[in-house]
Amino acid sequence: MRAPLHLPLVLAVLATTSTALAHHSFAVFDRTKKVTLTGTVKDFQWTNPHTWIQVVIADDKGNATEWGVECGSPNMMARTGWKKTSLKAGDRVTAVVNPLLDGRPNGSLVTITLADGTVLGPGDAPPPKPLGAQ
Amino acid sequence: MGCGAPLPADQTAKAPPATGSSAPKTAAERGFTGVFLPTGTLEEPAGFAQWPNTPWPKSPPFTPAGAAESQRLNDHGNFTACAPGGPVFHMWEVGLFPIQLLEAPGQLVIQREASGLVRRIYLDGRAHPPDDEIVATWNGHSVGTWDGDVLVVDTVGTNGRARAANGVGSNAKPSSLDSDPRFPVSDALHLVERFRLVANNELLEDEMTIEDPKYYTEKVVLKHYFQRRPDIDMLEYFCGDNPRRD
Repeated sequence: MRAPLHLPLVLAVLATTSTALAHHSFAVFDRTKKVTLTGTVKDFQWTNPHTWIQVVIADDKGNATEWGVECGSPNMMARTGWKKTSLKAGDRVTAVVNPLLDGRPNGSLVTITLADGTVLGPGDAPPPKPLGAQ
Repeated sequence: MGCGAPLPADQTAKAPPATGSSAPKTAAERGFTGVFLPTGTLEEPAGFAQWPNTPWPKSPPFTPAGAAESQRLNDHGNFTACAPGGPVFHMWEVGLFPIQLLEAPGQLVIQREASGLVRRIYLDGRAHPPDDEIVATWNGHSVGTWDGDVLVVDTVGTNGRARAANGVGSNAKPSSLDSDPRFPVSDALHLVERFRLVANNELLEDEMTIEDPKYYTEKVVLKHYFQRRPDIDMLEYFCGDNPRRD
Protein backbone atom coordinates (compact mmCIF):
# COMPACT_ATOMS: atom_id res chain seq x y z
CA MET A 1 0.00 0.00 0.00
CA ARG A 2 1.15 3.49 -0.71
CA ALA A 3 1.83 5.93 2.04
CA PRO A 4 -1.40 7.05 3.71
CA LEU A 5 -3.14 9.94 2.06
CA HIS A 6 -5.55 12.27 3.73
CA LEU A 7 -9.16 11.72 2.83
CA PRO A 8 -9.84 14.69 0.56
CA LEU A 9 -6.87 13.78 -1.59
CA VAL A 10 -8.01 10.19 -1.80
CA LEU A 11 -11.44 11.32 -2.87
CA ALA A 12 -9.88 13.62 -5.42
CA VAL A 13 -7.85 10.77 -6.80
CA LEU A 14 -10.89 8.55 -7.00
CA ALA A 15 -12.77 11.25 -8.85
CA THR A 16 -9.88 11.46 -11.23
CA THR A 17 -9.95 7.73 -11.77
CA SER A 18 -13.62 7.64 -12.51
CA THR A 19 -13.54 10.32 -15.08
CA ALA A 20 -10.37 9.18 -16.74
CA LEU A 21 -11.90 5.79 -17.27
CA ALA A 22 -15.42 6.63 -18.12
CA HIS A 23 -15.20 9.84 -20.05
CA HIS A 24 -12.61 12.43 -20.90
CA SER A 25 -9.30 12.88 -19.18
CA PHE A 26 -9.05 14.74 -15.92
CA ALA A 27 -5.56 15.88 -16.80
CA VAL A 28 -7.22 19.24 -17.40
CA PHE A 29 -7.68 19.66 -13.66
CA ASP A 30 -5.02 20.74 -11.20
CA ARG A 31 -5.09 17.91 -8.72
CA THR A 32 -2.58 19.64 -6.49
CA LYS A 33 -4.90 22.57 -5.88
CA LYS A 34 -8.19 22.79 -4.04
CA VAL A 35 -10.67 25.62 -4.25
CA THR A 36 -13.51 26.01 -1.77
CA LEU A 37 -16.73 27.24 -3.31
CA THR A 38 -19.59 28.43 -1.13
CA GLY A 39 -22.64 29.35 -3.09
CA THR A 40 -26.08 28.47 -4.36
CA VAL A 41 -26.96 25.52 -6.54
CA LYS A 42 -28.36 26.64 -9.88
CA ASP A 43 -28.71 23.21 -11.48
CA PHE A 44 -28.04 19.57 -10.59
CA GLN A 45 -27.53 17.43 -13.68
CA TRP A 46 -27.94 13.82 -12.54
CA THR A 47 -26.63 12.39 -15.79
CA ASN A 48 -24.17 9.99 -17.38
CA PRO A 49 -21.36 9.80 -17.95
CA HIS A 50 -20.97 12.38 -15.21
CA THR A 51 -23.12 14.35 -12.87
CA TRP A 52 -22.67 18.13 -12.84
CA ILE A 53 -23.50 20.69 -10.20
CA GLN A 54 -23.80 24.29 -11.33
CA VAL A 55 -23.01 26.56 -8.41
CA VAL A 56 -23.29 30.36 -8.39
CA ILE A 57 -20.70 32.13 -6.25
CA ALA A 58 -20.92 35.81 -5.28
CA ASP A 59 -17.77 37.77 -4.47
CA ASP A 60 -17.40 40.69 -2.05
CA LYS A 61 -18.54 43.13 -4.71
CA GLY A 62 -21.65 41.20 -5.54
CA ASN A 63 -20.34 39.82 -8.81
CA ALA A 64 -21.68 36.37 -9.51
CA THR A 65 -19.66 33.58 -11.09
CA GLU A 66 -21.14 30.27 -12.13
CA TRP A 67 -18.94 27.22 -11.57
CA GLY A 68 -19.40 23.82 -13.13
CA VAL A 69 -18.56 21.02 -10.70
CA GLU A 70 -18.06 17.58 -12.19
CA CYS A 71 -18.77 14.39 -10.21
CA GLY A 72 -18.91 10.67 -10.93
CA SER A 73 -21.71 8.84 -12.70
CA PRO A 74 -25.12 8.55 -11.00
CA ASN A 75 -24.48 4.80 -10.72
CA MET A 76 -21.32 5.31 -8.71
CA MET A 77 -22.79 8.17 -6.72
CA ALA A 78 -25.90 6.19 -5.80
CA ARG A 79 -23.67 3.45 -4.41
CA THR A 80 -21.80 5.94 -2.26
CA GLY A 81 -24.57 7.83 -0.54
CA TRP A 82 -25.95 10.17 -3.19
CA LYS A 83 -29.57 10.44 -4.30
CA LYS A 84 -31.10 12.35 -7.17
CA THR A 85 -32.70 14.47 -4.46
CA SER A 86 -29.45 15.21 -2.63
CA LEU A 87 -29.33 18.63 -4.27
CA LYS A 88 -31.83 21.01 -5.81
CA ALA A 89 -31.72 24.50 -7.21
CA GLY A 90 -31.48 27.07 -4.46
CA ASP A 91 -29.58 24.90 -1.98
CA ARG A 92 -26.62 26.53 -0.24
CA VAL A 93 -23.57 24.33 -0.44
CA THR A 94 -19.83 24.37 0.12
CA ALA A 95 -17.88 22.39 -2.45
CA VAL A 96 -14.17 21.66 -2.51
CA VAL A 97 -12.93 21.14 -6.05
CA ASN A 98 -9.77 20.62 -8.05
CA PRO A 99 -9.96 23.54 -10.48
CA LEU A 100 -9.25 23.53 -14.19
CA LEU A 101 -5.66 24.27 -15.10
CA ASP A 102 -6.73 26.92 -17.60
CA GLY A 103 -8.46 29.07 -15.00
CA ARG A 104 -12.03 28.76 -16.20
CA PRO A 105 -14.59 28.34 -13.37
CA ASN A 106 -14.89 24.58 -13.49
CA GLY A 107 -13.70 21.89 -11.14
CA SER A 108 -13.66 18.24 -10.21
CA LEU A 109 -15.54 17.61 -6.98
CA VAL A 110 -13.53 16.49 -3.96
CA THR A 111 -16.15 16.90 -1.25
CA ILE A 112 -19.37 18.80 -0.88
CA THR A 113 -21.18 19.87 2.25
CA LEU A 114 -24.93 20.00 1.75
CA ALA A 115 -27.28 22.45 3.42
CA ASP A 116 -28.09 19.92 6.15
CA GLY A 117 -24.42 19.35 6.92
CA THR A 118 -24.11 16.04 5.07
CA VAL A 119 -20.70 15.62 3.47
CA LEU A 120 -20.48 13.60 0.27
CA GLY A 121 -17.65 12.65 -2.04
CA PRO A 122 -17.54 12.73 -5.83
CA GLY A 123 -18.99 9.26 -6.37
CA ASP A 124 -16.62 6.42 -6.98
CA ALA A 125 -16.26 2.66 -6.50
CA PRO A 126 -18.83 0.67 -4.50
CA PRO A 127 -17.83 0.06 -0.89
CA PRO A 128 -15.27 -2.75 -0.89
CA LYS A 129 -15.76 -6.15 0.72
CA PRO A 130 -12.91 -8.27 2.01
CA LEU A 131 -12.58 -11.77 0.64
CA GLY A 132 -14.71 -14.29 2.49
CA ALA A 133 -17.00 -11.67 4.01
CA GLN A 134 -20.12 -12.63 2.11
CA MET B 1 -41.83 -13.88 0.69
CA GLY B 2 -45.03 -11.96 0.27
CA CYS B 3 -46.31 -10.06 -2.72
CA GLY B 4 -44.42 -6.82 -3.22
CA ALA B 5 -41.58 -7.75 -0.93
CA PRO B 6 -38.26 -6.68 -2.38
CA LEU B 7 -36.20 -9.39 -3.96
CA PRO B 8 -32.54 -9.84 -3.06
CA ALA B 9 -30.18 -8.19 -5.49
CA ASP B 10 -29.39 -11.39 -7.40
CA GLN B 11 -30.77 -14.64 -6.12
CA THR B 12 -28.87 -16.65 -8.69
CA ALA B 13 -25.52 -15.22 -7.78
CA LYS B 14 -24.70 -16.89 -4.50
CA ALA B 15 -21.38 -18.68 -4.65
CA PRO B 16 -21.98 -22.38 -5.21
CA PRO B 17 -20.04 -24.97 -3.31
CA ALA B 18 -16.73 -25.82 -4.90
CA THR B 19 -17.18 -28.61 -7.40
CA GLY B 20 -14.91 -31.50 -8.25
CA SER B 21 -14.79 -33.82 -11.18
CA SER B 22 -18.58 -34.03 -11.36
CA ALA B 23 -18.91 -30.40 -12.39
CA PRO B 24 -22.27 -29.66 -13.99
CA LYS B 25 -22.41 -28.56 -17.57
CA THR B 26 -24.04 -25.16 -17.66
CA ALA B 27 -22.15 -22.00 -16.94
CA ALA B 28 -24.67 -21.14 -14.23
CA GLU B 29 -24.26 -24.49 -12.53
CA ARG B 30 -20.52 -23.99 -12.65
CA GLY B 31 -20.94 -20.66 -10.86
CA PHE B 32 -19.99 -18.56 -13.85
CA THR B 33 -23.03 -16.29 -13.71
CA GLY B 34 -23.84 -13.34 -11.49
CA VAL B 35 -22.63 -9.84 -10.75
CA PHE B 36 -18.91 -9.35 -10.24
CA LEU B 37 -16.88 -6.26 -9.44
CA PRO B 38 -13.41 -5.85 -10.94
CA THR B 39 -10.83 -5.90 -8.19
CA GLY B 40 -8.34 -3.15 -7.60
CA THR B 41 -8.48 0.60 -7.26
CA LEU B 42 -6.27 3.35 -8.55
CA GLU B 43 -4.53 3.37 -5.20
CA GLU B 44 -4.10 -0.39 -5.18
CA PRO B 45 -4.58 -1.61 -8.73
CA ALA B 46 -3.34 -5.08 -7.84
CA GLY B 47 -6.48 -5.75 -5.80
CA PHE B 48 -6.34 -8.61 -3.33
CA ALA B 49 -2.79 -9.48 -2.32
CA GLN B 50 -3.37 -13.21 -2.67
CA TRP B 51 -4.84 -12.79 -6.14
CA PRO B 52 -3.14 -9.76 -7.66
CA ASN B 53 -4.03 -8.28 -11.02
CA THR B 54 -1.06 -8.41 -13.36
CA PRO B 55 0.14 -4.94 -14.29
CA TRP B 56 0.64 -4.06 -17.91
CA PRO B 57 4.35 -4.01 -18.68
CA LYS B 58 5.96 -0.65 -18.02
CA SER B 59 7.50 -0.84 -21.47
CA PRO B 60 4.97 -2.69 -23.62
CA PRO B 61 6.49 -4.61 -26.54
CA PHE B 62 5.07 -2.21 -29.08
CA THR B 63 5.69 -2.48 -32.77
CA PRO B 64 6.41 0.92 -34.35
CA ALA B 65 2.73 1.11 -35.33
CA GLY B 66 1.65 0.20 -31.80
CA ALA B 67 3.92 2.79 -30.26
CA ALA B 68 2.63 5.43 -32.65
CA GLU B 69 -0.99 4.59 -31.86
CA SER B 70 -0.28 4.63 -28.13
CA GLN B 71 1.34 8.03 -28.48
CA ARG B 72 -1.50 9.33 -30.64
CA LEU B 73 -4.03 8.30 -28.00
CA ASN B 74 -2.15 10.20 -25.32
CA ASP B 75 -3.57 13.31 -26.97
CA HIS B 76 -6.96 13.42 -25.37
CA GLY B 77 -8.52 14.93 -28.43
CA ASN B 78 -7.73 11.83 -30.41
CA PHE B 79 -10.15 9.39 -28.94
CA THR B 80 -13.91 9.28 -28.63
CA ALA B 81 -14.65 9.55 -24.95
CA CYS B 82 -17.73 7.35 -25.04
CA ALA B 83 -16.36 4.77 -27.45
CA PRO B 84 -16.74 1.17 -26.28
CA GLY B 85 -13.63 -0.35 -24.84
CA GLY B 86 -13.52 -3.58 -26.80
CA PRO B 87 -12.88 -6.95 -25.19
CA VAL B 88 -9.65 -5.95 -23.49
CA PHE B 89 -10.85 -2.75 -21.85
CA HIS B 90 -14.18 -4.48 -21.17
CA MET B 91 -12.34 -6.84 -18.85
CA TRP B 92 -9.68 -4.41 -17.73
CA GLU B 93 -10.87 -1.78 -15.34
CA VAL B 94 -10.47 -1.20 -11.65
CA GLY B 95 -13.55 -1.66 -9.51
CA LEU B 96 -15.72 1.27 -10.49
CA PHE B 97 -18.42 -0.49 -12.48
CA PRO B 98 -19.62 -4.08 -12.09
CA ILE B 99 -19.98 -6.68 -14.79
CA GLN B 100 -22.72 -9.29 -15.05
CA LEU B 101 -22.42 -12.74 -16.57
CA LEU B 102 -25.72 -14.03 -17.92
CA GLU B 103 -26.33 -17.38 -19.58
CA ALA B 104 -28.71 -18.20 -22.37
CA PRO B 105 -28.83 -21.54 -24.18
CA GLY B 106 -25.55 -21.91 -26.01
CA GLN B 107 -24.07 -18.61 -24.96
CA LEU B 108 -22.67 -16.66 -22.07
CA VAL B 109 -23.09 -12.89 -22.10
CA ILE B 110 -20.81 -10.51 -20.25
CA GLN B 111 -22.20 -7.06 -19.74
CA ARG B 112 -20.07 -4.29 -18.36
CA GLU B 113 -22.20 -1.66 -16.68
CA ALA B 114 -20.35 1.27 -18.21
CA SER B 115 -20.86 0.03 -21.74
CA GLY B 116 -23.90 -0.24 -23.90
CA LEU B 117 -22.44 -3.30 -25.59
CA VAL B 118 -22.13 -6.84 -24.35
CA ARG B 119 -19.62 -9.59 -25.04
CA ARG B 120 -21.49 -12.59 -26.40
CA ILE B 121 -19.56 -15.84 -26.04
CA TYR B 122 -20.94 -18.76 -28.02
CA LEU B 123 -20.70 -22.05 -26.14
CA ASP B 124 -22.50 -24.19 -28.72
CA GLY B 125 -19.39 -25.52 -30.40
CA ARG B 126 -19.38 -23.18 -33.37
CA ALA B 127 -16.18 -21.80 -34.86
CA HIS B 128 -15.47 -18.21 -35.84
CA PRO B 129 -16.81 -17.21 -39.24
CA PRO B 130 -14.25 -17.20 -42.05
CA ASP B 131 -12.11 -14.06 -42.13
CA ASP B 132 -13.86 -12.70 -45.19
CA GLU B 133 -17.30 -13.19 -43.67
CA ILE B 134 -16.73 -11.94 -40.14
CA VAL B 135 -18.36 -8.64 -39.29
CA ALA B 136 -15.81 -6.58 -37.41
CA THR B 137 -17.29 -5.19 -34.21
CA TRP B 138 -16.13 -3.39 -31.08
CA ASN B 139 -16.12 -6.55 -28.95
CA GLY B 140 -15.40 -9.02 -31.73
CA HIS B 141 -16.61 -12.59 -32.15
CA SER B 142 -16.10 -14.90 -29.20
CA VAL B 143 -16.42 -18.65 -28.86
CA GLY B 144 -15.91 -20.59 -25.65
CA THR B 145 -15.07 -24.16 -24.72
CA TRP B 146 -14.65 -25.85 -21.38
CA ASP B 147 -11.27 -27.20 -20.38
CA GLY B 148 -12.26 -28.94 -17.17
CA ASP B 149 -13.36 -26.15 -14.87
CA VAL B 150 -11.75 -23.49 -17.06
CA LEU B 151 -13.72 -21.61 -19.69
CA VAL B 152 -11.46 -20.86 -22.65
CA VAL B 153 -12.70 -17.96 -24.75
CA ASP B 154 -11.25 -17.13 -28.14
CA THR B 155 -11.99 -13.72 -29.64
CA VAL B 156 -11.24 -12.30 -33.09
CA GLY B 157 -13.00 -9.88 -35.40
CA THR B 158 -12.59 -6.64 -33.48
CA ASN B 159 -12.70 -3.38 -35.38
CA GLY B 160 -9.50 -1.89 -33.94
CA ARG B 161 -11.21 1.34 -32.96
CA ALA B 162 -12.02 0.52 -29.34
CA ARG B 163 -11.01 2.88 -26.61
CA ALA B 164 -7.61 1.80 -25.34
CA ALA B 165 -6.90 0.79 -21.80
CA ASN B 166 -4.57 3.25 -20.15
CA GLY B 167 -2.37 3.11 -17.10
CA VAL B 168 -5.32 3.08 -14.76
CA GLY B 169 -5.86 -0.36 -13.35
CA SER B 170 -2.41 -1.48 -14.27
CA ASN B 171 0.72 -0.03 -12.80
CA ALA B 172 -0.14 3.63 -12.84
CA LYS B 173 0.18 6.04 -9.98
CA PRO B 174 -2.15 8.99 -9.73
CA SER B 175 0.57 11.46 -10.57
CA SER B 176 1.29 9.66 -13.80
CA LEU B 177 -2.26 8.93 -14.76
CA ASP B 178 -1.91 10.56 -18.10
CA SER B 179 1.71 9.84 -18.82
CA ASP B 180 1.53 6.05 -18.75
CA PRO B 181 1.14 4.52 -22.17
CA ARG B 182 -2.17 3.69 -23.67
CA PHE B 183 -2.57 0.05 -24.62
CA PRO B 184 -4.38 -0.01 -27.94
CA VAL B 185 -5.32 -3.18 -29.79
CA SER B 186 -5.80 -3.35 -33.53
CA ASP B 187 -8.20 -5.19 -35.79
CA ALA B 188 -5.62 -8.01 -35.83
CA LEU B 189 -6.30 -8.78 -32.18
CA HIS B 190 -6.52 -12.43 -31.23
CA LEU B 191 -7.51 -12.62 -27.60
CA VAL B 192 -7.51 -15.90 -25.70
CA GLU B 193 -8.92 -15.88 -22.19
CA ARG B 194 -8.96 -18.58 -19.57
CA PHE B 195 -11.68 -17.95 -17.00
CA ARG B 196 -11.76 -19.89 -13.75
CA LEU B 197 -13.22 -19.48 -10.28
CA VAL B 198 -10.78 -19.23 -7.40
CA ALA B 199 -10.84 -18.22 -3.73
CA ASN B 200 -13.68 -20.58 -2.87
CA ASN B 201 -15.51 -19.48 -6.01
CA GLU B 202 -15.61 -15.85 -4.87
CA LEU B 203 -13.21 -14.57 -7.52
CA LEU B 204 -13.43 -14.93 -11.26
CA GLU B 205 -9.97 -15.00 -12.79
CA ASP B 206 -9.51 -13.88 -16.39
CA GLU B 207 -6.11 -14.75 -17.79
CA MET B 208 -5.84 -12.80 -21.02
CA THR B 209 -3.33 -13.60 -23.72
CA ILE B 210 -3.26 -10.65 -26.07
CA GLU B 211 -1.84 -11.45 -29.48
CA ASP B 212 -1.79 -8.51 -31.84
CA PRO B 213 1.04 -8.56 -34.39
CA LYS B 214 0.16 -5.11 -35.70
CA TYR B 215 0.75 -3.41 -32.35
CA TYR B 216 2.82 -5.83 -30.23
CA THR B 217 5.93 -7.82 -31.09
CA GLU B 218 5.06 -10.56 -28.64
CA LYS B 219 2.11 -11.83 -26.69
CA VAL B 220 1.08 -9.95 -23.56
CA VAL B 221 -0.36 -12.12 -20.79
CA LEU B 222 -2.35 -10.48 -18.01
CA LYS B 223 -4.52 -11.74 -15.20
CA HIS B 224 -7.42 -9.73 -13.90
CA TYR B 225 -9.80 -10.66 -11.11
CA PHE B 226 -13.48 -9.97 -10.44
CA GLN B 227 -15.10 -10.40 -7.04
CA ARG B 228 -18.56 -11.92 -6.82
CA ARG B 229 -20.84 -9.19 -5.48
CA PRO B 230 -24.48 -10.34 -5.24
CA ASP B 231 -25.14 -7.25 -3.14
CA ILE B 232 -24.72 -4.99 -6.18
CA ASP B 233 -27.47 -4.42 -8.72
CA MET B 234 -26.43 -3.58 -12.24
CA LEU B 235 -27.69 -0.20 -13.38
CA GLU B 236 -28.22 1.36 -16.77
CA TYR B 237 -25.48 3.55 -18.17
CA PHE B 238 -25.79 5.56 -21.37
CA CYS B 239 -22.56 7.45 -21.79
CA GLY B 240 -23.90 9.91 -24.33
CA ASP B 241 -26.58 11.33 -22.04
CA ASN B 242 -24.72 14.50 -21.12
CA PRO B 243 -21.49 14.67 -23.11
CA ARG B 244 -20.21 17.93 -21.70
CA ARG B 245 -16.58 18.53 -22.42
CA ASP B 246 -16.07 21.64 -20.38
